[in-house]
Amino acid sequence: MDREPLIRRKTAISYKTEEKTVMRGYDLSELAEEGYSFCDALFVMYQNRIPTEKEEKMLKYEMGVFMEHSMSPSAVAAIGVSAGRPNLPCAVAAAVTTFGGVHGPGAAHGYMLDKYLERAKTEGRTVDEMAKTLVDEYMDAGRPVMGMGQPQHTDSDPRAEPIHLKQEELGLEGVYLEFQRALEKHFHARRKKEGRSHVGVNVVGSGNTALMEIGFSPNAAWCLGSVCRGFSCAAHALFNMKKGRAWGASRNEPMVQMIDLSMIKYVGPDDRIVPTQEERQAHARKEKEKGEYKKWVI
Amino acid sequence: MGDLTHKPELNQQKGKIGNLDSSKNPFDYGQREYGTVPLDTKRLPFQWVSEIAYKNVHRIVSRGYDTTEVMEQGYGVVDMLFIDYQARIPLIEEEQMLNYVMILALEDGLSMPAVMSRMVAKSKTFLTQAAGASILAFGHAFGAYSAFGNRLETYMKKAEDEGLPLEDTAELLVKENWDDEALGVSSLMLMDPAAKRMIARAQKLGVAGKYIDFAQKIVAAAQNLSEEPVDLDMLGATGATMLDLGFSPEATWAILAVTRAFAAGAHYIEEIERDEYCRTGQTLTPKDFYDGPDDRPVPPLRDRNNVAQSGICQTLDEWAAAREERKKIIGSGHSIVEEIEDPSKKSGIKKVGKL
Repeated sequence: MDREPLIRRKTAISYKTEEKTVMRGYDLSELAEEGYSFCDALFVMYQNRIPTEKEEKMLKYEMGVFMEHSMSPSAVAAIGVSAGRPNLPCAVAAAVTTFGGVHGPGAAHGYMLDKYLERAKTEGRTVDEMAKTLVDEYMDAGRPVMGMGQPQHTDSDPRAEPIHLKQEELGLEGVYLEFQRALEKHFHARRKKEGRSHVGVNVVGSGNTALMEIGFSPNAAWCLGSVCRGFSCAAHALFNMKKGRAWGASRNEPMVQMIDLSMIKYVGPDDRIVPTQEERQAHARKEKEKGEYKKWVI
Repeated sequence: MGDLTHKPELNQQKGKIGNLDSSKNPFDYGQREYGTVPLDTKRLPFQWVSEIAYKNVHRIVSRGYDTTEVMEQGYGVVDMLFIDYQARIPLIEEEQMLNYVMILALEDGLSMPAVMSRMVAKSKTFLTQAAGASILAFGHAFGAYSAFGNRLETYMKKAEDEGLPLEDTAELLVKENWDDEALGVSSLMLMDPAAKRMIARAQKLGVAGKYIDFAQKIVAAAQNLSEEPVDLDMLGATGATMLDLGFSPEATWAILAVTRAFAAGAHYIEEIERDEYCRTGQTLTPKDFYDGPDDRPVPPLRDRNNVAQSGICQTLDEWAAAREERKKIIGSGHSIVEEIEDPSKKSGIKKVGKL
């Protein structure tokens, strides 16, 4: 059996021999035998250290509360992909890849915090002052403040404030929580001043703050969140594969299905005649000159 | 709302188009309607139906448990896996065992998920794109937990249905699947004690059950039948333990693929930190790697009819002969046979082989 490496890379993460697999210097099997948890192993993986018990508890809480979110873009993607009945990993991969600039934007939030904290340091300003600057700069520019608001949990994300409280209960308050709390204060104040509705902190705002506080980089924190969601999305896909109908369009189901024909609403160009190949060039030139097509270009 | 409409004038203007008016068509294309189908009011409107979870503005509930309350009560993400997949709170020992399994599944060096993550990272993507790609590495050879688990279940059912001793059934399983990558027994862990340690831990925690027992019988049978030394490998140890923890083969597959994706994120990060991005057209493939046809001139288009070869086979004999020739074209796909089934209930490519 060929056991040569697939690619050659210098790596500081792990090595694997016929005798053992070693991650950041620790034999994985020894780590498990000693009774460390999976969350402990994630600290070793990303931070090269054994965490304190409280830090491990914080990660366990954050990932636990983030894992399942019923119907969100990630679960919908998993279910949508599973409708074609590919192998399950395809549905799970699709779910994880839904995490981007809007759905669970953990890295975006993390980089935002780091950027403004760095400015506070270099500009000699307090955390509170810089949080106000962030809110003003984002809102003046019409940009969404990362970590605030959730389209389904309209008055408060049920996970968000409890994460802040857990972080405080565990005595893990640091500069990130101070900054995030200040950000929320200034965000609420400005919206109130402008006569706008209350928009609460979301799970990224609080959860990512906690993850950054316990030492994870923006991308590492994003990985923990988005990949963790993969667990539950796999369950949703599996439920649909085992107990639902493939394709999602059967007319024999008592309920209209996900992609039943009646679910389609079309708002594009009117029905029109396909030009013959003889007419093609003249038609295409005219259409291009007219330019009406441009309103449909995406 | 739907706006199904017949447009005879439009159809008339269109006239004859290609083969659409052929009498062989089981329809009259010129009479077909335009527009979208109205909402079906005779059936219940579409909703996302789930046994797993629901949420409202104020709560997220999985299998009846409010997930925030679950965490406030001191449970964690590993407990949530039992809740989501099995609708139950696990025993403390089960939670400990799953933690153990997941630590072992987290990192595997530069194996395929890490490689896939790193390759995607080189294209300057989001981390999530790379982590997602790593999950696609899990198939029926690497990370073959579904294939392994389903096979165990199939043979154990056979033993039960036919009253066969498990030892005999294990031997049959080995004989019938000796070359399969998902046997769970191989030479991979002869010098690494991790797989055996996992089984010992499951036994110590009191969570080892019928699957681990059967896996050990498979190992014994394989060792009897093999001329080379073999033993339980990580696939076998992990797969059997997860089944004894109550996870289905498919759930096992998903959980362990996702577990590995946490590390794929670190590999994505390291790839970016240490290396450069890769541009379109940048990567060369040395001619030394190439063993296809010799370099040759492209025939002028006007000579096409002289040099073109038809792929049409009129008789079965022609087809069989052409197939044999096509198998020689590496990369054509003609030398591979798969039976791809609906993986809804039991996932897997029934048979994968090279002719």
